Amino acid sequence: MRRAPLLIAMLAAALAWPIAEQFLPGSWSVLDAVKSIFIFAILGLALNAVTGFAGILNLGIAAFMAIGAYAFAILTNDLYPFQIGFWPAILLTLPIGALAGFLLGAPTLGLRGDYLAIVTLGFGEIVQDVLKNLDSITLGTQGINPLPAPVVPWWKPGEDGQGGGLGLVDLAEETQGAGPLLSYYLFLAFVVVAWLVFRNLERSRVGRAWMSLRSDELASRSMGIPPVRTKMLAFATAAAFAAFAGGLWASWLSSTGEPANYDFQISILALCIVIVGGMGSIAGVLVGALVMIGVNSIVLVKLFEWLQSKGLGASGSVFVSPNSWKYLLFGLALVLMMRFKPDGLVPASGRGERKPSGGRS
Amino acid sequence: MRSAPSIRRPTCVLSMLLVTSPVVAQNQLKIVSSLPRTGSANAQTTTMVNGIRMAIDEVGGKVDGFEILYEDMDDASPQRGNWDPAVEGQNANKAAKDPLVVGYIGTFNSGAAKIAMPILNRAGCVMISPANTYPGLTKPGFGEKNEPKVYRPSGKVNYFRVVPTDDLQGVVAADWAKELGATKAFVLHDRELYGKGIADVFEKRAKEIGLAIVEVEGIDPKAANYRSLVTKIKATGADFVYFGGTTQNNAGQIAKDLRSGGVVAPLMVPDGCFEDAFIEAAGAANLNGKTYVTFGGLPADQLTGKGQVFRENYRAKYGTDPEAYAVYGYEAARVLLDAIDRAEAKDRASILAAVAATRDFQGALGTWSFDENGDTTNRTMSGQAVIDGKFVFQKVLGR
Amino acid sequence: MEFTSAEVFAQQVLNGLSNGMIIALIALGYTMVYGIIELINWAHGDLFMLGGFLALTILGALGLEEASGPMAVVAVLVILAASAGFCGTLNVLADRIAYRPLRRAPKVSLLVTAIGVSFIFVNLGLFWGGVPMEVFSGGIAAAAPKDFPALVPSRNLLGTDDGVGFTLRDLLVVVVTLPLMLGLWWLVARTRLGKAMRATAQNPTAARLMGIDVDRVIGSTFFLGGALAGFASVVYALYNNTIGFQMGYRAGMDAFTAAVLGGIGSLPGAVLGGLLIGLIRAMSDQYLEARWTNALVFAILILILVFRPSGLLGMKQREKV
Repeated sequence: MRRAPLLIAMLAAALAWPIAEQFLPGSWSVLDAVKSIFIFAILGLALNAVTGFAGILNLGIAAFMAIGAYAFAILTNDLYPFQIGFWPAILLTLPIGALAGFLLGAPTLGLRGDYLAIVTLGFGEIVQDVLKNLDSITLGTQGINPLPAPVVPWWKPGEDGQGGGLGLVDLAEETQGAGPLLSYYLFLAFVVVAWLVFRNLERSRVGRAWMSLRSDELASRSMGIPPVRTKMLAFATAAAFAAFAGGLWASWLSSTGEPANYDFQISILALCIVIVGGMGSIAGVLVGALVMIGVNSIVLVKLFEWLQSKGLGASGSVFVSPNSWKYLLFGLALVLMMRFKPDGLVPASGRGERKPSGGRS
Repeated sequence: MRSAPSIRRPTCVLSMLLVTSPVVAQNQLKIVSSLPRTGSANAQTTTMVNGIRMAIDEVGGKVDGFEILYEDMDDASPQRGNWDPAVEGQNANKAAKDPLVVGYIGTFNSGAAKIAMPILNRAGCVMISPANTYPGLTKPGFGEKNEPKVYRPSGKVNYFRVVPTDDLQGVVAADWAKELGATKAFVLHDRELYGKGIADVFEKRAKEIGLAIVEVEGIDPKAANYRSLVTKIKATGADFVYFGGTTQNNAGQIAKDLRSGGVVAPLMVPDGCFEDAFIEAAGAANLNGKTYVTFGGLPADQLTGKGQVFRENYRAKYGTDPEAYAVYGYEAARVLLDAIDRAEAKDRASILAAVAATRDFQGALGTWSFDENGDTTNRTMSGQAVIDGKFVFQKVLGR
Repeated sequence: MEFTSAEVFAQQVLNGLSNGMIIALIALGYTMVYGIIELINWAHGDLFMLGGFLALTILGALGLEEASGPMAVVAVLVILAASAGFCGTLNVLADRIAYRPLRRAPKVSLLVTAIGVSFIFVNLGLFWGGVPMEVFSGGIAAAAPKDFPALVPSRNLLGTDDGVGFTLRDLLVVVVTLPLMLGLWWLVARTRLGKAMRATAQNPTAARLMGIDVDRVIGSTFFLGGALAGFASVVYALYNNTIGFQMGYRAGMDAFTAAVLGGIGSLPGAVLGGLLIGLIRAMSDQYLEARWTNALVFAILILILVFRPSGLLGMKQREKV
């Protein structure tokens, strides 16, 4: 497979992009949209562990993202007693997410396929309602804000512009100068770390157990792989990284947003990233995030900007307003991609061969 | 904007790359709006954008020799079908970085404003909302204890709004309800920032003035119907129903189910339902004579002077009467254009100062000013009833 | 308050059953398609939504918005037939164009295709609301909810205004839904087509070897499932008097939940699941708090699945190889 060169090329492009952007007109700046690609890439990698590796359809990954975001917020915001700062809080989202995954998974992971899928979907709805209704803790629909941005060691100018040295730079304050670039590269580093974690997991004993469960539960059971415990590990790992993505997301927006921001549509988007990219393929997930979020927050946005500059959509009728075509384009893109690339854009190795006909696999 | 002379290596290398932004065309300024244009709020935001476009067209797309560009940004995404925090953040960042942008009209949802405000505040860019009513965005003591200063990291006020806030509207709504003869009210809300916020104020005020609240229920805005809730309301014998929420969050269905479920108590709703779509969704027969709507401002047909002109021009341009929201969009754009005209230098700082200095503005909503928090001093509220399938102005509230 | 607590309870049971029957009708179409190709047909709810728009368009085009008496009956029959035919055909088209080429692809790819189709349908619904017709208020506010004419009045058949209400609309739900359910049961259990469907559901390869035209059987299933969505949309619209381009989301979610609760692929299970969800919602609104209703439905669903892993009436899982 040509996946290693692809990954290296993507990494190189991600590293070089901010520099290249300097030579483009200001309105071409897409650093923020790219950050959102990074966050969804981590979410996609998380979902891929449970759905791609272990073959468990999870329709509620957004719930764990919400748990991570709110945990991060409660641990850092000044309305709460903790205020432990960015780094401790973002690291704590991992065990908190894993715990939530464990609590949901323990009683339900024995369920088969689509029954488990609706349990995860239902969990997603329950988490949203709980966050919304327990407003004495979560502030309900208010959202918790502001939230801290990362603090990183970097060159700090001295008091009066003289001297200076290595110091801690709060990226929230650094909206000019190197700030945006530092936070861009930091987010990229998070993606790389997540990628390495999942790549090593994939190649480990656990990863092989997941994939063996996915392809044949009966056979793997008879070979001594405990199905529920193995699935639990996948489920909890996914939950942990989804929570981490949620914490990053909240930090990036400096707000949790409202609970409805973590609804089923986010879970669906994450699922589309995994499937469109190629289920079980780490490179695929990264491509999936790039395509899905890129199309949505960069290509469509630029296209509509351009259409608007040509005077389209000024009359206010639903048919000529470019925005009212978004669902259609998004849906069509999904249908076409699945039609021509049913195994995803970058299929996982060993998944290329087709299952026998009839849909029952 | 603040200049940054104190940057040292290695930041310097990076920032040199940053400041080599391309040459911008002279004599152009840009206004952007960021409103949810995909999904259910599209109906209201279309009328707002119509209002904004009209205001720009009225000055011929030029102010003081500067060409005014306008971009209608969408802060919703198709997957969400509603405002999307990531998109709002991107819009705000994009506007902040674009040196041409001198004004940001938005947002529609107060939740979205919470995300955009600090970003634009750091960039020193004016933000004028045609729709946010959550008091905590501007008023100390009305929201969480860290509000509104968390939205002003630079310490300066850059956020303004042309609509009166929920803490005013909820109060006049409760007063009016009592005046209409309510003794026991059942309060519903859509569990969103706007709807719950205004319902909370209604409830608090009602208790102060001796209007009993039998129960408060948060509805599921996506439910097919509210028959079970209506049965519950009927069983409590409430003689008045207040719904804090919007047309998209199923206000029409609530009205229908109340009537078909045999509840005769009047229904009162806030300005999130003050649009023809509410009457159309509910069916006029279910509203006539027993539905009251409060609104922060005067309805179009009560406006005199500039407001009346606005109404006629709007009808000529778009073929329909303006909805309540259209005026807000129009007014936000007008006050911004006016400030651009008054500003000496056409940069963000001068324009921000000019907007903040807006006093006795002769607008379509009457004559008003911005106070030190960025709120409009226009506190004229009106109450309307639905009669024969139309909103009919009843009285001025809260004076 | 003449409304005694016993009356309140009875009324809530009625509310729950009426809503539950509508959910059940949508869930039937869902579960049929699932049963035969294991597709979680995410577009089913949005197909249902388009059925409602077609019904409203027909009423507007024929000037039947104000119909009453016998004319109203005719109008209801016309839109029932039209929406059923339309949704059935559209479902078959979706299968032909989008799903059939993916028969051999992984199941989740099919799910993503269905999600894509669902987005396309939602957009069509948005555009449909923008059609400049009187019934869409001239199409000015495309996204706004649309009022659906009250062809069936909410007259209480039990007489008084104060007591328990069983309205003409509740009757309509029963009159349309029950025969459909019975007919469907008969079709699947007793006819040749039904037999072929069951055979295909059990083992498509074997069915093909036995000379069953599997594609045709799948097509027929899509048509029937779609037609049920069409019927459901008209019942829903007449019962609630509102349609909107986003109503398919909740309808689809409820139907999916009902189908799983009852045991996915099981027709009586879908009906039972739908009725249960309706009842839980009504009881929660009355005796708990409305804001917890949605969470409660899913919490009960998860609890039931923990104790009955194949749903209430689901078959014991066949071990897959």
